[in-house]
Amino acid sequence: MISLSNYLIIGAILFVLGMIGFLTRRNLILMFLSAEMMLQGVALNLAAFARYYGNMHGQVFTLFLITVAACEAGIALALILVLYHQRKSLDVSLWQDLREPGQPATVDLDVPPPAPPLVELPQLTPAGIAPPRRSEESHV
Amino acid sequence: MQLFADSATSLTGIWRLLLPLIAAGAAVYFLLPRPRGRAVLWGSICAIVALAASASLLFRFEHGPKVEAFLFFAFSGMAVISGGLLIVQSNPARGALCFAMVVINVCGLFLLQAAPFLMAATIIIYAGAIIVTFLFVLMLAQQTGFSDADHRSREPFLASFTGCFMLGALLLMLDRTFPNPEPFDELLNRLESAAAKQSAGEMRAALGDRKELTAQLERRMRPMPGSALSAEWQSGVDDLEEALGDGNISAADLRARTNLLVRIGRDARRRRELPAENVAAIGRLLFSDYLLAVELGGTLLLVAAIGAIAVAHRRERRPE
Repeated sequence: MISLSNYLIIGAILFVLGMIGFLTRRNLILMFLSAEMMLQGVALNLAAFARYYGNMHGQVFTLFLITVAACEAGIALALILVLYHQRKSLDVSLWQDLREPGQPATVDLDVPPPAPPLVELPQLTPAGIAPPRRSEESHV
Repeated sequence: MQLFADSATSLTGIWRLLLPLIAAGAAVYFLLPRPRGRAVLWGSICAIVALAASASLLFRFEHGPKVEAFLFFAFSGMAVISGGLLIVQSNPARGALCFAMVVINVCGLFLLQAAPFLMAATIIIYAGAIIVTFLFVLMLAQQTGFSDADHRSREPFLASFTGCFMLGALLLMLDRTFPNPEPFDELLNRLESAAAKQSAGEMRAALGDRKELTAQLERRMRPMPGSALSAEWQSGVDDLEEALGDGNISAADLRARTNLLVRIGRDARRRRELPAENVAAIGRLLFSDYLLAVELGGTLLLVAAIGAIAVAHRRERRPE
């Protein structure tokens, strides 16, 4: 018998995984995906309680949660686009001058791995004689 | 899950809880991206250990409909695995695909919870709209120049420790608040078999110690869903306790009081059914009880759309 607590445990695991992702990852998009995963865990909890208590309020609440999550995703993506246009990168550490006063700055201690060498792409050299072009005729 | 129901088993219970937690934390710690290369082998071993340990914690082979259990473990296992892959993925596009997998599996769990409308809505909105928009933004935001931010993670040890600590606290609280219903059923069966006895002495012997029985009756009822019955249950327990204290009570009286408790308990344990027409029930509730919230939600969507357009709009500098 799959009882209520099994669903609650899965919801808690999803929530905590999302929290770890939000705390550690530095890509803005991955951070927002992690936040959405936390919302999935909460939605699972609400649906499980709706089944347990036998009324529809939990499911209706999940609908509202989806609504708010959709709004949040729209605004967040717009913000991410604006931030990207300012810095040309999705790295959230580039915005660390917005941090609280008194907090030490994040410094990447490890030397970044060397940039991959640019590959020389082969180019076709123009050869032969260019065919004569007729001047464009217009009947306008 | 039944970890700390009885104090005698609490030590093993703690270890059964701690092993998957520590293994999961170590797996996340090993697998989080870092510039010097991550320990994929150790991370995968820890992840497998964590999954196996938590499955053995959750799974009880001998009970219940097998199909439901199989679907639950398939969906929830896939959801947890894809969630873990999402947070350790260094490529954000693959992360978005992992998130789509999480959403689809959570939708499967919704379906198991008798919520087909929610399943459809979540697949359409999340896996359809939101993921596609995320991928659009990902394509638009091509990183110029070489950046290794995706191959770094901020404080992986502290974050996985915090996550495991929080998960442990959540699991402990869930276990305390929503324990297994099986001990309650066993208690009801015991009461029923006691009521079937002939004489008052036999019934008294079958019911056992008075203090212990009362404490168990009060503790086991509390988390059951039929909370409206709890006052009735409490008075029934008081009646039974009084009857057990009374030395020369008749067998019929004792039997009546015990049967009353059994009836209330079975009523509280009865699975409350959701209406079969899911969409109709949701619609009825949305447009009666939650009408104001629906209007507010619509307004919120409108305002968010306008706000997103206003924020993302690039004002072009006009040539003067």
